[in-house]
Order: sequence, then structure tokens, then C-alpha cells
Amino acid sequence: MEFVRHVREGRWTTAFGYVLFVALMVAGYYYNITFVQLGLIDLGTRLVGLSETAVSAWMAVLALSTLVVAVATGVAMDRGGWNTALRTKLRVLFGVVCLQLVLTLVAPNVRSVSAFGAWVVAASVGLGVGFPVSFSLAIDLVPVPDRGYVAAAVTAIAYFVANAVPLSWSVDVFSRVMVAAMVPGALVLGVLSFARVDRLDALLAELGTQHRAFGTGRFCHPEIRTRSLAFVVPVALMFGVFFIDSLGFLRIIDTPSLLLSSWQSPELSTRLFIAVAHVVGAVMAGVIYVNYSLSRVFLWTFALFALTHVLYTSDLRLAAVFPSLAQGGASPLNPAVYAVAVSFYTTLNFALWPDLSTASTVGTRSAVGIGVAGWLATFTSTALALYFQAAELTLLSHLNVVQALSLLLLFGLAVGLYAHRMVELVRDGGESAT
Amino acid sequence: MSPTDAIPLLVVVLLMISVGGGEVQQLSVTFQGDTSLETLQDVHVVAGGTTTVPVGSTVSGDVYAIGGTTRVEGAVDGDVTLLAGNLSVADGATVTGTVQTIAGDSVVADGATVGRVSEFAAPVPSDSPGQRVGGFLLQFLVLGAIGWWLVGRHPALLENAGSAVTDHTLVSGVVGALGAATLLVLFVYMAFTLVLIPVAIVGLVAEFLVVVYGQVVFGYLVGTRVPVERVQVATVAGVGVFLVALEVLGMVPYVGGLVQLGVAAVGFGAVLNTYFGLKRFEPVTIPEEG
Repeated sequence: MEFVRHVREGRWTTAFGYVLFVALMVAGYYYNITFVQLGLIDLGTRLVGLSETAVSAWMAVLALSTLVVAVATGVAMDRGGWNTALRTKLRVLFGVVCLQLVLTLVAPNVRSVSAFGAWVVAASVGLGVGFPVSFSLAIDLVPVPDRGYVAAAVTAIAYFVANAVPLSWSVDVFSRVMVAAMVPGALVLGVLSFARVDRLDALLAELGTQHRAFGTGRFCHPEIRTRSLAFVVPVALMFGVFFIDSLGFLRIIDTPSLLLSSWQSPELSTRLFIAVAHVVGAVMAGVIYVNYSLSRVFLWTFALFALTHVLYTSDLRLAAVFPSLAQGGASPLNPAVYAVAVSFYTTLNFALWPDLSTASTVGTRSAVGIGVAGWLATFTSTALALYFQAAELTLLSHLNVVQALSLLLLFGLAVGLYAHRMVELVRDGGESAT
Repeated sequence: MSPTDAIPLLVVVLLMISVGGGEVQQLSVTFQGDTSLETLQDVHVVAGGTTTVPVGSTVSGDVYAIGGTTRVEGAVDGDVTLLAGNLSVADGATVTGTVQTIAGDSVVADGATVGRVSEFAAPVPSDSPGQRVGGFLLQFLVLGAIGWWLVGRHPALLENAGSAVTDHTLVSGVVGALGAATLLVLFVYMAFTLVLIPVAIVGLVAEFLVVVYGQVVFGYLVGTRVPVERVQVATVAGVGVFLVALEVLGMVPYVGGLVQLGVAAVGFGAVLNTYFGLKRFEPVTIPEEG
């Protein structure tokens, strides 16, 4: 890791950049995976009185709105040229945090559908602006060789805290905890963004010049075009990963027997086991990302998701054949494997978009990548889940679909790589023949 | 007992049935509670609770016990196999086939009528130091022979795999742990499909061979540090030292086992990363910006 070398050689500014990036990303992602994705469901159903179907529809609206805002923000960054202006980006993030702080404060008081809708739209603005801006900080703060490890650290910390800390999935609890955490964070970010202190100015100025060295991503040698397959294919693959995860997870958390034996287990040991699994998965993903080609990382990701859903569906099939077995409780192994798979692709998500970008394109590509792969996938998977719910699909059938999609993507990627290799061999043969 | 816990045990039962040449049309399982077995489909498995063939009842088929308590007080027209748990055949009870005990506790009353009693006497390592030493020597001879042959005929194989261990320990460990765990689960669940049992068996054997190959690689690495000129002898000596080290580690509670697993994972990953030593492992590099 280059971080160790920077510390050993006393380059504290660069080392501080690492810490700053990890802190910002952990905070943002923790907010996203807890308050936005889980607390919002409670807000809509319990406080506003909407049905689960209606809340899911609003979640889809949130996803789609976030996509639009993210792309607009990313394009504005690149065309405006402030994609390399560190202080400007920090100020934008400060604005986002302030907006989210207000939204978090007022959330428990939302009682009407119209207020809920307004809240969703406002939240999508914050998320849509925040994601491409925060991801673009990688070009200023994280050296290219270490992006996999840094992404692993972000994933491990965020998920460990989210799973180990015993928070009820309630908007009231989330609101109090988030406000308590966001206020000092906002203050620190405000100081970094606006304070005029010579030492701080020098620090930020030095960090701001690092994009010249860190700006070109790992997969941009030679530079790739946004509309080329080199960018579109990873976006499509990440869309597939997010889609599979979201489609499966939506149904799993809607099944009390599965939820209470895993992420909402009253036993701390179970949640801690899942938290540790997240950390292990993140570390593994970081190591593999740094040492292997991108296709290999995607293969592992799809394989892990396929394995996860094989475990879940096998348990369900067995329980269907032997009903008494279902009374024995579920094994924590299943959510642990799920956690490894989730951490795998989350680490990939954090590292991939900056590495597919250059300093001049990081805004657009981060926005498109996160928007299409993350939010559009969430939108479509939520829509499909709603359709399954309306069709009264059983849990086993639902997870069978997810398993089939996982295996299809795994098989499709393997075949695609093989065919690509064949094309290369044909070209080589053609050249040698001439 | 959760489904995940039960599946491996059921796989063992299915494997035994297949090995015996039997075909299962229907299979019933008891996981908990008290059950009176008055009718029997082809096979009944006792995984938990207490299952009793009551006095005066006659059932046709086989009974497998993988947990809980099984009591035969009536008649079983078939075999009774104990893999785990407790089994008792009472006075006046009848088993026309074989009462086979592989593990667990079984009691056959004097007044019971049993076709044949078979008991698998597993070696007890702690009470048989000679057997333990013999097992170690057998392992040493096999691994040593493999190492001797490989380093003599194809030294590059061990050299490439060894460099993956020494130069890329973390990567090898990650890939080894991930690959071994994933493949193990895959093969176990594959066996449950019945049709893929042969594939599962071949897969598990292949996985074991990869682990063995990894151990040979470690032996080779230790051998390179042994002050012996002849590389084949050094490799055999290295294998011996490595195996002794593993035995010593096994005596250390918890930490020793974890280190053993770590060593196995690194070896497994190194073998996979180097395609069994055919190619030196090189991580991807990031081109320097011009």
C-alpha cells in the first residue's frame, strides 16, 4: 500500500487526504444505507400511513430523481471545470450535508403524503448532488494504486457500524442518531470549506494539486471514451449487480423470519457475525481488486451472489419439504455470505468510477456510473418487486428469480470473456497470416 | 437444527444410500419431538427428537439416525444405521437386516433379533500413538514422494507456486479462502441434487488434491532453506519439517488451528493463481502516466 509509504516518508498531507476521503465516504454511505434506504420505509408506512406498496413506489421515485440530479450535477462539474477544484467541491458537500441535516431533523414530523413527497424530492437533490461530488474527491485524495484498499476500508467501516450498532430500523431513532453525528461533521466540513487559515489553506492547496498525479484512473491507459464499450460494459455489469442485490434484499427484509434471524436479530452475536462478515468481504474485495483484472472481480462478485441465493433457496426448498425444520430457526451463515457478497460489490463500486475516469471526466462518469448502476437499478428492481408482490409470488419463487439472474450474469460474463479471447486470437492469427 | 446444519448430514445419508446401490423413492425425516414410526416409506432419517418403532408394529425400509434418539421396540424389515445420536433395540424387537453403528451410542438387547450387527471401530488417535505416528509417516512418505518427483522432473512448477506464496501471501490467502469455501459449499449442495453426486465427489477429491499440492509447495519452500545441496533431498526434508510444524501447531489451542487454516488457504490460493505452477503469478500493474 502506498499509504504506508506516505506515512513512513512523512508525507502527512497525502496521508490526511486518505483519512478525509474515508471519513467523508463512510459518513455519506452510512447515511445512505441506514436513514435513506431503511428509515424512509418506516417513515412512509408508520408515520405517514402509506402502504408498503406506495412507499416502494416513492422509493422508486427517489431513485429516478436522484439519477437525473446526479447526471446533471456530474455534467455541470465537468463542463464548469470545478471537478478539479477541491475547495469548491467541499463547499458543495457542505451544502449537501446541511440540506440532509434539515431533512433528518424534520423527518419524524412528516405526516402527510404531500410532505412525504416533498421530502423525497428534496432528499433526491441532496443525494444526486452529493454522490458525484464525493466520488470525484478520489482524484484529489487517493492515489490510484490504493483505491481498492481505500474502497475496502470505506465499505468495511460503514457496514460494520451499520450492523454492529443496535439501531432499530425506525426513523425516530435514525433521526436522533444521525443529527447527533451530522452536526459535528458539518462543522468540520464547514471549517474545511470556508475557514481562512494559512496552514489550512496550504493543506488544501497541496491536496488540490494532487489531481495531476492521481487524476487518471487505472482503466484509462489509454484514455477511454464515455460512449465506448470500455465504460458502458462496466456500467451494465454494475447495474446487474445492484439489480440482483436490491431485488433479493427487498424480499428478504420483507420476510420477518429471515429478517429477525439476521440483520434485525435481537442477539448481538448474530449482528456482530454479520458485521465481521462484511469486513472480511470488503478486505477480500480490496485485495482482489488491486491484484486482478476488472473482469475477474466481476466474476467473483456474481459467483458470490449466486452462491448466496443458492443457500437461501436451498434452505427454503428444504423447509418446504420438511415443514418442521423451518421451526428450528435460520442459520446465520446465509446472511453472512450475503454480507460478503454485498461488501464485495460495494468495494468495487467505490473504486470503479474514479478508476474509469480522468480528472476532466470524473464528474460525468461518476454520476452516470452511480446513477445508472445504483439508482436506476434500484428503480427497476423496486418496480419488479412491486410487480412480484402484486402477482403474489412466493418467497421461494422470488428468490429463485434472483438466483437465476445471478447465474445468468455469471455465465454470461464467463462466455463473454471467452468469446472476447477468441476474437483476440483470431486477430492475432490474421496478423500472422498476412 | 437449521436447514443449513441439516443439509450436510442429509447429504451423507444420501451418499451412503447411493454407495449401497439403493434407490430412494420417498424419504421422511424427523427433526424434533416424539414420533411413533408405525409406517415407513423407503427411508426414514432421524435427525432429532425421539423416534420409536412401537411394540407390535412392523415397518419395511431402512432407518438412518443422524441425531436424536431412535428406539426399535417393534420390527424393522430392513437396515438400521447409526451415524450420530442414540440407538436402542429393545427385547423382543426385530431387525431383519443389519444394525450398523458408525458413530454415536447403540445398545442391542440380548432378547432382540437382529440379522447382523456391524460396528465401525474408528481409530482413537489419543490412545494410539503408534497409529498416529504411522499416519504421520504415511503422509510424509506420500508428500515427500510427490515433492521428490516434482522438483526432479518439473522444478519450475514448485518454484512458481512457491514464489506466489512468498511474494504474494495476502493475495494467495484471500483467493484460497474464497475459492476453497465457495467450492466446498458448491460441491456439498451439488451432492444434494442426487444427480450431481458423482460431480460433487470428484470436485471434493480435486479440492483435496489442491490442498495436498499446496502442502508440497510449502515443503519445497522450507526445503530451500535447509542446508542440503541436493534439491530433491532438501525438498523431502522440507516436507518433513513442514509436517512436524503443522503437528506442533495443532497442539496450540485456537491459534494453532487458525494458523493451520491460514497456511492451507495460502497454499490453495497459490496453486490456483499459478495454474498449479505452470505460470508465475503477476498482479495487474497500473501503467505510469506518460
